[in-house]
Amino acid sequence: MKKNLQWKVVLAVAVIGLSIFLAYPFNDTKIHRGLDLKGGIHLSLQVITDDAINIETDQEISRLEELFKKNSLTYQKFAKEGLGRISIQGTLADQEGKTRDLFDQYSRDWDYSFTGDRANLSLKPLAAQALRDMSVVQAKETIDNRVNGLGVSEPLIQRQGNDKIIVELPGVDNPERIKDLIKVTAILEWKLVKAGPAPDEATLLQATNGQVPDDAEVLRGDPKRGQGGFYLVNKVAVVTGKDLRTIRRVTDEWNNPAVSFSLNSDGGARFEQVTGANIGKQIAIILDNKVQSAPLVEARISRAQGGVIQGRFSPQEADDLVVILRAGALPAGIKYLEERTIGPALGADSIRQGLLAGLVAIVAVMAFMIVFYKLSGANAVIALILNVLILFGALAYFKAALTLPGIAGIILSIGMAVDANVLIFERIKEELAVGKGVASAITQGFSRAFSAIFDSNLTTIISAVFLFQFGTGPIRGYAVTLVISLLANLFTAVFISHLLFDLMVRKSAKKLSI
Amino acid sequence: MQLFKTPSIRFLKYKYLALGLAFAIVLAGVINIAFFKGLKLGVDFGEGTLLRIMLKTPSDEGHIRDLLQTVGLGKSQVQKSGSSGREFQIRAVESVRTKPSDKEQIEAHEALADKIIAALKGDDGTAERARGLVDLNGIDERSLTALLESAFPGSGPEAARAIIAQRNTAGIVADFRELDGLGLKPEVRSYIQDKTYLGKMTTLSRETVGPQAGSDLRRKAVLATIWSLMGMLVYIALRFKVANGVAAIFTLAQDVLITMSIYSFTSREINLPIIAGILTIVGFSINDTIVIFDRVRENQKLMRGKPLEDVMNISINQCLGRTIITSGTVFLTVMALFLFGGEVINDFAFLMLIGTIEGVYSTVYMSCPVVLFWQSWFGSKNARRR
Repeated sequence: MKKNLQWKVVLAVAVIGLSIFLAYPFNDTKIHRGLDLKGGIHLSLQVITDDAINIETDQEISRLEELFKKNSLTYQKFAKEGLGRISIQGTLADQEGKTRDLFDQYSRDWDYSFTGDRANLSLKPLAAQALRDMSVVQAKETIDNRVNGLGVSEPLIQRQGNDKIIVELPGVDNPERIKDLIKVTAILEWKLVKAGPAPDEATLLQATNGQVPDDAEVLRGDPKRGQGGFYLVNKVAVVTGKDLRTIRRVTDEWNNPAVSFSLNSDGGARFEQVTGANIGKQIAIILDNKVQSAPLVEARISRAQGGVIQGRFSPQEADDLVVILRAGALPAGIKYLEERTIGPALGADSIRQGLLAGLVAIVAVMAFMIVFYKLSGANAVIALILNVLILFGALAYFKAALTLPGIAGIILSIGMAVDANVLIFERIKEELAVGKGVASAITQGFSRAFSAIFDSNLTTIISAVFLFQFGTGPIRGYAVTLVISLLANLFTAVFISHLLFDLMVRKSAKKLSI
Repeated sequence: MQLFKTPSIRFLKYKYLALGLAFAIVLAGVINIAFFKGLKLGVDFGEGTLLRIMLKTPSDEGHIRDLLQTVGLGKSQVQKSGSSGREFQIRAVESVRTKPSDKEQIEAHEALADKIIAALKGDDGTAERARGLVDLNGIDERSLTALLESAFPGSGPEAARAIIAQRNTAGIVADFRELDGLGLKPEVRSYIQDKTYLGKMTTLSRETVGPQAGSDLRRKAVLATIWSLMGMLVYIALRFKVANGVAAIFTLAQDVLITMSIYSFTSREINLPIIAGILTIVGFSINDTIVIFDRVRENQKLMRGKPLEDVMNISINQCLGRTIITSGTVFLTVMALFLFGGEVINDFAFLMLIGTIEGVYSTVYMSCPVVLFWQSWFGSKNARRR
């Protein structure tokens, strides 16, 4: 055997061996199926980053108010003038220097100006951007924690663009639960109940002449908990989720799932004082402005005791509440842009039929190649099989998922692989027809066909790279599979196929089976 | 084996006729899209909710529409899929009229989906649930495991997995007898029958796309397609001539437009996987085009002095065997997908069937003539400069 032929064999065997090693065994752990084939849930959501700016603005106002009081500066009123803008009305002209010093020292993220008796602050663009950015990072982390608390295998939680987060959870068979879990902002509050539950607002507000008192608000019971009614509760919360110290799932005295909590010293003290003063009244436990339960305060609850949240939970719901509260609240609201749930049955069905169809197609093509091109056709068939092997190896290595559009990409690449072989074989036939010897016909056939094969594969690869760059989910899946299998194509159709010819005609160079 | 001796058909003699025909189809398609039927955008690019459901017993579109009518959703598009008569696609078209914020809109779409499911289910299972039974067609693996584990500690996970796998394969459990042969212990088997009931339907998939995501996906798909066409244009222009690059883009634009037209005429939905299909057609077409261009380039060197049109005719003829074999095998592949691939893949396969025929046609009758025209307009000037 010629020396360079030996090296080619080694290279071919190495690439194929590596592919088999990467892809074997051909199952789920190696070749990941996309959601469309496996079933699962895909969510695309947007973090409402304005929320983060608003929260910062509110905090800045309360910070400055405190500072103004501490430094005995006079003012009439602090007002929020929109997104990241504050005005302080009624500041006196003779205290401008002092106010400037204060802003310079404590409000470095804010630009300020004075007009007449007003001071205006606006959040610096860079600081605002940083805040928005941070809120997305935090939201992603919170969602990550919540999902991980559930033990979903291979969750994919990805930031996309400025303010979007993609959540993909393959194989989840109870998507409603996940959606609920992620959607909750999880602001937990305990508030004293003034009236309720009542079936409608009119009944609820009978005692207050149909008016909502200034220090109260109307909340609804969570329809999911079977707490349909309306409640009139205090605006100010006794304690909130921030005061939580520990939280875990327990069963209550009726053996129903519940969630027990204990509070930190600060919150515990407040809780003790309020429960002591309100025995016989209801205290509402509120999650994201929905009343979960409103137990009666039977006795003063000491700070050591903590308490139990009951709400007709299923075991799963109690678990989820624990996960949500442990993972913390989302830093900003979330808006859903897209929700897709593919049931596992649909995935199983489409992959079974798709595989069957693919198999029928490939067998038919292979049979045709062998009938039409005889032994040379067998070369093409081997190249085709190796092509698919290398593709699977690469998919396994890159942990890329196989999707329905991905299968489209494979069909295109198989078509092009067959085409490459046909181009080569037809060229070889042309060379043989003009009376060339077998060896030189093969060499000529390959080199003449090469430019067309190279150009068409490379053009398609270039287009796929752009598709990957600018496309979304399924289009990207298509592009990835296409690029991988076209590269494999160039290797198998040109290199391996040529090698097989070289090995085949080494001895009997008189006649070629084509 | 040889298909035929290299023929000498004067393909390009009919170039005006062929171009006229292509132009007419595209024009008809564009007019149809712009003024009449339009393009039916799937949930990906429009907005709204798409449900795929499977029923325990066969039904028909009319019956399902009647059920939806009772909750005022009679205008929803109901489409039977598969051959069992048990699978249906429902697209809720009732738009959310009051145009609240985006956030509320997607929630409104979700609520619509809930309403549809509730309407289809009717009072199915109410009595059973009151007796404490659970729906075997709705329960998830974890809960089923818990249920079995409470009665048969140790064998819950395995039994639950087997049952869920069976349900996933069949789509829905229509009869408890389907659980026979899963290797369940007799007591487990009868426990299941005692503690669960078979709900009449299951949701196979549910997709809701909000207005913002819809327009975003639309924009990105168009952008990705345009950029990838530009990439091809530049590469082909560099490897061949500008004329070839321009011709390739015309060819591909025609492929896309004709496909879109046929989609418009047949009222099939355009969604993201269909975009992948269109790109695949473009891929095959560009492959064909390049093979011919390559041959023309080679022949131009061999046949100096011959008019380009003759060289092109010869090249197309020389490649004819290859064109027929390659397109034939692809056609074979796609036909298999179309016939056996199942509902999900069917639209895609249909697209590819059109595409393989269209791709060959456009390669011969679009790419070559455009190069000819380009050369006759700009070619002489270039020659003088040299």
